[in-house]
Amino acid sequence: MAAESEPLIGIDLGTTNSLVATVQDGQPIIIKNRTGQPLTPSVVAVSKNGKRLVGGIAKRQAITNPQETVSAAKRLIGRKFSSHPVQDALRALTYQVVCGQHDDVRVRLAGRDLAVPEVSAMILAELKADAEAHFGRPVTQAVITVPAYFNDGQRQATKDAGRIAGLEVLRIINEPTAAALAYGFGRTVNGKIAVLDLGGGTFDVSVLEINNGIFDVVATGGDTFLGGEDWDHRIMEWMVFGFAKEHGIDLRKDRMALQRLKDAAEKAKVELSSVKETQVHLPFICTPPGGGAALHLQSTLTREKLEDLTADLGERLVGITSEVLGEAKVRPSDLKEVILVGGMSRMPRIVEQVRQYFRREPCKGVHAEEVVALGAAIQAHALVGQQSELLLLDVTPQSMGVAIAGGYVRRLIPRNTTVPTSATEVFATSKDFQRTVKIMVLQGEHELAHHNELLGEFLLTGLREAPRGQVEIEVTFDINAEGIVSVSARDRDTGLRQSITVTASSGLTEDELRRIMDEQRDWMVAARNTEELKSKRVELDTLARDLVDALSRVRLMPGAGGLPPDVVARAEAALDQARQARGVEDVGALTRACEALAQSLPLLRSAGPRGTPGR
Amino acid sequence: MNALRAKALVEAGLLLRLSGDMAGAEKLFARALELDPGNARARRLLGRDGGPEQGADTGWNLAAPDLEADWGAWAGPSAPGPVEAPLRESVSLPEGTGMPGDALDLIAEAHRTQEFGLPDTFTPAGGLPEGSEVESLLRGAEDLLALDDHSGAVELLRRAQSLAPENPRVEALRDRSERILVSMLEARLGDLNRMPRVRLQPDDIIWLNLDHRAGFVLAQIDGAVSFDDLFALSGMSRLDTARILAQLLDEGIIAPGE
Repeated sequence: MAAESEPLIGIDLGTTNSLVATVQDGQPIIIKNRTGQPLTPSVVAVSKNGKRLVGGIAKRQAITNPQETVSAAKRLIGRKFSSHPVQDALRALTYQVVCGQHDDVRVRLAGRDLAVPEVSAMILAELKADAEAHFGRPVTQAVITVPAYFNDGQRQATKDAGRIAGLEVLRIINEPTAAALAYGFGRTVNGKIAVLDLGGGTFDVSVLEINNGIFDVVATGGDTFLGGEDWDHRIMEWMVFGFAKEHGIDLRKDRMALQRLKDAAEKAKVELSSVKETQVHLPFICTPPGGGAALHLQSTLTREKLEDLTADLGERLVGITSEVLGEAKVRPSDLKEVILVGGMSRMPRIVEQVRQYFRREPCKGVHAEEVVALGAAIQAHALVGQQSELLLLDVTPQSMGVAIAGGYVRRLIPRNTTVPTSATEVFATSKDFQRTVKIMVLQGEHELAHHNELLGEFLLTGLREAPRGQVEIEVTFDINAEGIVSVSARDRDTGLRQSITVTASSGLTEDELRRIMDEQRDWMVAARNTEELKSKRVELDTLARDLVDALSRVRLMPGAGGLPPDVVARAEAALDQARQARGVEDVGALTRACEALAQSLPLLRSAGPRGTPGR
Repeated sequence: MNALRAKALVEAGLLLRLSGDMAGAEKLFARALELDPGNARARRLLGRDGGPEQGADTGWNLAAPDLEADWGAWAGPSAPGPVEAPLRESVSLPEGTGMPGDALDLIAEAHRTQEFGLPDTFTPAGGLPEGSEVESLLRGAEDLLALDDHSGAVELLRRAQSLAPENPRVEALRDRSERILVSMLEARLGDLNRMPRVRLQPDDIIWLNLDHRAGFVLAQIDGAVSFDDLFALSGMSRLDTARILAQLLDEGIIAPGE
C-alpha cells in the first residue's frame, strides 16, 4: 500500500490578511484557521502581559496596543531601510522600525529587534499550525505567493520567512498568476488578461500574457497605500462625526472607542456588500468627561451612504488601472479576461466601476479574497504531482544587466526568462587608455541604472592601454536552477577574468538565519511547555478545590463519616503535594499531584453522614 | 498608641469610602473601634451612635457596584452548601507556611515565592514620618489585608503610591496585594482557556449599568476568544480586566463557556 503523501499547502501571505489552501480530492479548498475563519489577519503583537499574539487576536488589540503591534510587514520585507518605499511606509507605522547592520529593516517588538522575515514567519507559522490542525499531521512544504513586482531580495526574504517558520518553500509565485491559475486560465485562455487585486492595504494591477500555459507578467502597477482600510476609515470618520454632533464628544481621543469603531466599520463595510443597510450598535462606547452613565453609539449606515463617502476612492482605483494599462500600451478591449481579486472586490460599486471601465463583466469568484491562495495550492499540487500543463516555470522576476556609460542599463537577461539560463555579451571600453572597468550587476526594468536594484559590483583591472572601444570585455551572466547568479567579465585580449556570485539576500546572513531558526524552535518548545503547565495547573486547582470541599465536609461529620483514618491523612498529603507541585515549573510533578488528588477525591466523597461510608 | 492607630485607620477608611468601597471602609472603622473603643468618630461612621456622618455621600459612580466588594469572599468556592458554613469565607494571606485546607492557598502559594523582598518583620510605615497620610494608608492597608480585604487594600495602596511613588515598601506591598487579588479573581473565572459568551441580547445590554471599559471588554466577548485572550486584548492591566470579567460573570451578563 502506498504511503499517504505529505500534505501540501499554498499560502497567500498578504499585507493585511493571509490565507492557506490545499488541494483535497482534486479540488482546491481554503483551510480555515483554528477560530473557524478563512482569513488570518497578517498582524503580530506582544500583549502587555508579554504574550505573543498572531492573527485575529493581535488585530483586535492593535489600536489599544499600537507600539507593540506589527501589521503590514509585507511593505518592509526584503527592502533596504534607506529605500524610498520603506521611508514612505515609516510615516504610516505605529510601531518602531530601526536600521539593521546591512541597511536592512528591523522591527522593535517587546524590546527586541526582529528582522522582517522573523515577523512574517510568525504569520506563516500560524498558518502552518492551522494546516496541521486540518490534516492532523505535520506540514512542511508550501508554495507562497508574492506581488509580481517583488524583486529577488523580497522573494528571498519571503523564502527565509518560510524557512524560519519550518516550511520548505517549493516555489514563490506571483499573486496575479496564482489568481489566473485558480480560474483555470492556464488551460482555457491564450492572450492578455488583467488582474485587479484590491486587498486590505494595497491595490495591485497586473497584466498577464498567457501563452499555452506560460504566464508572462507584462505590466504591474498600483498603489501600495490604497485598500479596504481606506473604506473603513471613511466609515469611522462618519461615525465619529455623527457622535460628536450628537454628544459633543470626540471618540478619536479614546483608544478603546477607536478600536471598537474600527471593528464596527469593517463589519459594516462587509455587510453592505450583501445588504442595502446595516445597523451600527456600540453600547457603552464612552463615559462622558464629567462622569455619569456611559453613552451608546447607534446608527444606520446605508450602502448608498457608504458609496457616497467613498466615491473618490473608487475613482482613484479606476484612474490607477487606466494608468497601468496606458503605460503597458494595453487597451481594455485587448484583454481576454479581467479578474477581480481581494475582499474589496465584493463591493457592488467597485464591480460596477470595473465593469464600466472595461466594458465587460469581470470574473470574480464567490470568494474573491481566496483565489490567490487557491492558485498557490494548485501550483503546489502540480509541482509535486508533475502536472506539466499546470506547472509554472521558475523564471527571473525582473530583468538583469550591467550599468553602462551614461548611467544606463544594458539588459542581458530579460524578465520572465526560465532558469537555469545564461547570456553573454561583449562590451568595449568607453575611455581612451582605460585600464579598469567596473561591472555593476543590476536588476530591474528601468532604463536608468540608479533606478534599479544593485545586486553587486566588481572591478576588472589590468586592461591593455588602447583608445576607447578597442578593448573588448566579454560579460557572462549565469543563473543556475537555485537562482544563484554568477557574473564574470573577461578581457578578450589578455584572458584576464574576474567574477562575482550574487545570491539574492533578504538582509539576513546565513548565521543570523540559523540563529533565528534555533530561537524559533526554542520558543515553540517553551510555548508548548507553558501551555501544558497552564492547563495542568488549572486541573490541579479544580481538583484541589474539590478535595478541600470534600475534606471540610468529612471533618464536620461525626467519626469522619466512617472513613478509615488514613483516607483523611492521604488526602491532606495529596494537598501538600499539590501545593509543592504548583510552585515549580514541572509538568511531571503537576501530573503526579493531580493523580494523587484524583485518587483521594472519590474516597472522601464516599463518606456517609452517620459515621458509615456512604455510596 | 492604639488611639493613634485607630485614628489612622479611620482616615484610611474614609478614603476607601470615598472611593466607593463601603465594605472595606466599614471593616477599618470596626477595627479602629476594636483598638480604641472610645473613638467616637469610628463609632459614628459605623452608625453605632444613631446616624451616619455628615457628608458621607461620595458621589461614587455606581457603574461598578460590587467590584470593590470583598474579593476574597468572591473568589471562594462558588456553590456554598449548608455544610460549608465552617469554611473560611475568604483566603488567608500567605504568611509563614500558609494554612492547610484551602485550595485558594495553593494559588496564593505561587505568589508567596515571588514576594518582592518584603522583610519578615514588615513595618508598613517604615521610613515614613509618623502620622503622615502615607503612613495612615499603609496601616489601613495592612489592617485590610489582615481582614482579607485585598480590594480595599489595593485601593489604599494605590493612593499611597500616588503620594509616595518612590517608596519601595509601598510598591512592594501594592504589587503583592495586586497579585493576590488577581489570583483570586482568576480563580473566580475558573479555567482561563474557556471562551466566555454573552448571555444577553443586544437590546438588553444597553439597559445594564456598565462603564465604557466594561463595555469594551463586553464587546470583545464573542464566544471565540478565551479569558486568557481577553487579558491580552483588553489593553488594561490584568487586575482591571479580571475585575471587569468577574463582575460580568457575577452579574450573569456573560457565561464562562466551553
